[in-house]
Amino acid sequence: MILQVTNPLNSSELIFPTLECIHIAGFALSVGTIAIVDFRLLGLGMNHQSTAEVAADLAPWTLLGLVVMLTSGPLLFSSDPDMYYLNWVFDLKMVLLLLAIIFNYTIRRKTAYSGKSGTRAKVVACVSITLWVGVVFGGIFLAFI
Amino acid sequence: MSIAQSLESIGFLNEFSESVLVYPIVLSTHLTCIALLGGMILMTNLRLLGLTLKSLTITEVVTSLRLWKRIGGVIMIGTGLLLATSEATKYAPNPFFWTKMIILSLIGVHALVFRPIVYNRTEELDRSSLIPAKVKAAAILSLILWTGMFTMGRLIAYWD
Repeated sequence: MILQVTNPLNSSELIFPTLECIHIAGFALSVGTIAIVDFRLLGLGMNHQSTAEVAADLAPWTLLGLVVMLTSGPLLFSSDPDMYYLNWVFDLKMVLLLLAIIFNYTIRRKTAYSGKSGTRAKVVACVSITLWVGVVFGGIFLAFI
Repeated sequence: MSIAQSLESIGFLNEFSESVLVYPIVLSTHLTCIALLGGMILMTNLRLLGLTLKSLTITEVVTSLRLWKRIGGVIMIGTGLLLATSEATKYAPNPFFWTKMIILSLIGVHALVFRPIVYNRTEELDRSSLIPAKVKAAAILSLILWTGMFTMGRLIAYWD
């Protein structure tokens, strides 16, 4: 593909691993902060503070992490689009990522700010963690399939 | 037979690195722990620097994340040991791997130095209005060490 041949990303051996490190830092920041809120929803930490406050405090960091992740990710993809395009694990990862982001900014956000802490909140937290862990697993598995 | 070769030939480690499914599962688990642990370490240090979670006291942030960091740390070291020992002959000559191990030991030194004077004295820190230099040093050094840690981890795959 033209994109791949002329892509400046493929001109240096160092750019890809550097981008990968930035990608890892981005998802550590986003997934890590999301997990902290999910653990709070589960009643497993920061229990002196309302979930809404923890969520509001961490929201800008989650967003920053997502921006870094969603900038470095497509750049990594562009280095070898054919490899990703033909890889079913990549498709699965993208579906999970999309679901995770939508879930994060709709149901999970509403739950975190509602102040409720019943079974529903716990289910929401588990779904959130599962989706994001799925995305991370997808990222590794696409290199092995 | 070198130490690396004999490590690698241990039955279950050999089977492990040959397995199509188990190896990526362990690697993904290792990376998931990096995400959880990394995010939490980052937030703890940013809280020490007064940059986030300011509605919580330093004590609350440090104590409520401590258990999760320990669990994540144990799983990370466990999976890391599996990954490294199962391909010991590849890792043994790899300079990035050894740099990572040196950084890991520096993280240990960081804990020995700063735990008694910073991370175990959070109540004191919550009472003081400004951030002491030792706290800034602890937080910034921790961030640098962990960044070096995952960067070296990633670069291990690129040496040949």
